[in-house]
Amino acid sequence: KRRPSPSAFSRAVCPPVALPDSVQWEGRSLLKALIKNAALRGDQVHVLGCEVSEEEFREGFEPDVNSRLVYHDLFKDPLNWSKTGEALPGGPLGALRALCGRTQPGPVTIALDSLSWLLFHLPCTTLCQLLHALSHQNACPDGSSPVERVHVLGLIHEELHGPGPVGALSSLAQAEVTLSGMLDQTSAHIVNRRLRQRPTQQTQWFSILPDFSLHLHRVPAREPRPCPPTTQVDPTAHLTFNLHLSKKEKEAKDSLTLPFQFSSEKQQALLRPGPGQSTSQIFYEPDAYDDLDQEDPDDDLDI
Amino acid sequence: MAATAPCGSGAEETGSEAAAGKPGGTSFQRKGPRAGGLDRGGSRLVSIAGTRPSVRNGQLLVSTGLPALDQLLGGGLAVGTVLLIEEDKYDIYSPLLFKYFLAEGIISGHTLLVASAKEDPADILQELPAPLLDNHCKKEFDEDSCNDKTPESNIEMKIAWRYQLLPKMQAGPVSSSRFGHYYDVSKRIPQELIEASKWYGFFLPEKLSSSLPAEPCYLTHGYLKLLQFIQSIIYEDGFDGTNPQKKQKNILRIGIQNLGSPLWGDDICCTENCDNNHNLTKFLYVLRGLLRNSLSACIITVPSHLIQNKAVIARVANLSDTVVGLESFMGSEKETNPLYKDYHGLIHIRKIPRLNNLTGDISDVKDLAFKLKRKLFTIEAYQNIKAKLTCENIIDNF
Repeated sequence: KRRPSPSAFSRAVCPPVALPDSVQWEGRSLLKALIKNAALRGDQVHVLGCEVSEEEFREGFEPDVNSRLVYHDLFKDPLNWSKTGEALPGGPLGALRALCGRTQPGPVTIALDSLSWLLFHLPCTTLCQLLHALSHQNACPDGSSPVERVHVLGLIHEELHGPGPVGALSSLAQAEVTLSGMLDQTSAHIVNRRLRQRPTQQTQWFSILPDFSLHLHRVPAREPRPCPPTTQVDPTAHLTFNLHLSKKEKEAKDSLTLPFQFSSEKQQALLRPGPGQSTSQIFYEPDAYDDLDQEDPDDDLDI
Repeated sequence: MAATAPCGSGAEETGSEAAAGKPGGTSFQRKGPRAGGLDRGGSRLVSIAGTRPSVRNGQLLVSTGLPALDQLLGGGLAVGTVLLIEEDKYDIYSPLLFKYFLAEGIISGHTLLVASAKEDPADILQELPAPLLDNHCKKEFDEDSCNDKTPESNIEMKIAWRYQLLPKMQAGPVSSSRFGHYYDVSKRIPQELIEASKWYGFFLPEKLSSSLPAEPCYLTHGYLKLLQFIQSIIYEDGFDGTNPQKKQKNILRIGIQNLGSPLWGDDICCTENCDNNHNLTKFLYVLRGLLRNSLSACIITVPSHLIQNKAVIARVANLSDTVVGLESFMGSEKETNPLYKDYHGLIHIRKIPRLNNLTGDISDVKDLAFKLKRKLFTIEAYQNIKAKLTCENIIDNF
């Protein structure tokens, strides 16, 4: 099973509406599947719920998962109007800061449902700084307590935001899971950037069972046509002259010594003219009209 | 004005003093490096460790840590200037250049100032690459290059053999170099070297411990604090010449990581038109003023691929002196392109400064690619392979 790494964000992607029955791949079920995975692993799970009610979120989880789930409810009363003291103090900002200042030992998974809601209520920079603080809070100043891992999962609805906030949040994330799919099969495109290593990309087809366990597929039943294989750029295509050689022509070409190639035979020939070889000579047959001047004007030159 | 090589040469003479009646010889006087900067008078040559004057104009240069990059920048980074690195998309290679710069500072004995909003400066320093000593260098390079030799590269070109004579980037160590060292990326710098060096760290989450409400300020709070910090270090340690007790001059190397990212409190990466569009540009302007007045050099990495407003990117580049852009092939369609299969990305030298000069020192080679080998980060001029293939084919078949 795939283990979520620290600061994994998942997105729900809506395909362009071309078909009348456009399907939205919602990310909440994947989020819940990951939460269940974390809870069964022994982490304590804190959920900051903003978009759905607590009952709806807890629906479908088994009792032992639900017992490890701590739900911070921002959905019921986000602006604290009822003043009953149930709402989280300080609104979303206070809730996040409270999560940052958590001092309980043990591995923890924090799920944010959803980041889109938080982006609408908080400035993007504040959210980024808080997320950074959330995932790095295990660095204790004293070296006594062992470093506990904090996993942060965030759900973001990509189509609600411009490229800016999504890009900024992705740069903070250590793994980014984009959901898409074909008809009834869902795929997740995962970009995993470990620290100081080259990021890896992979696409995983999966489905989520009703009890929120994750089932990974090897290969989908109806595999979509793979994108056309990238052919080697062939510069000799589409030319108006023939660049291809037959075998005989190739042999003749290879055996040809080029004039400017200084092979060893040529070197020998120039250095030591063999007895059989005659150096080139000039034979001059004077014509009747030729003016043979015996006196060579170049004789005065003292070279 | 950036500091020139502090060297006393007496009176400043103009070059061509055609004095008639000068007995014998030439009337042109040989000019030494201009006297100026912080050391006036005196005829002794003051040299700071890890620096050298530029051969073009006598500008004092420091090494960036990568001799190949030094060569492309005209010998090195001028003291008093800013080197801006535009980060690659997944931020893999720009931290490397950042660390090379800092490691070079430690080896040369310079003072370091490391500022980051993401990582603790102490952790950054722990991850610096280990220096390669001269006697081990040659062996490492040969080993590295042998591993990478593909069978195709062994085919020598028969006809277009002049391509092989193109100058390669300097990949091997220069003997007896006190300027520019080589590093092994697979190893960490020895702990004692870090402890022997002097460094200051600025980690933003620690400095902004109190949660202040966003007060209307002319600069983002984080930037303001960083500028104040830099100014205090420069003043206290006498890098700007105010402290006359300083016996030995030294260079301050400043490294600022991920400037402009939301972690610094700047939202130019989040929105296109925001009210505080000018935070980063104001910061760079003030920083440049601080640098010009002191013996320091600065490297900044900026995630320019995240900045939404193109005008801001252009302004940021204008305010920096040297701008180098990294473009990695990861995740782009160039990854599968056979032209680029030997390399990991392209490096663009976008701007070279003209300091005390009318022209910049622009290198002839424009197509540069980089590759991160196991131990080395190399920059090479990638020959345009497609053109080569086409030409070779055409010429060979006739």
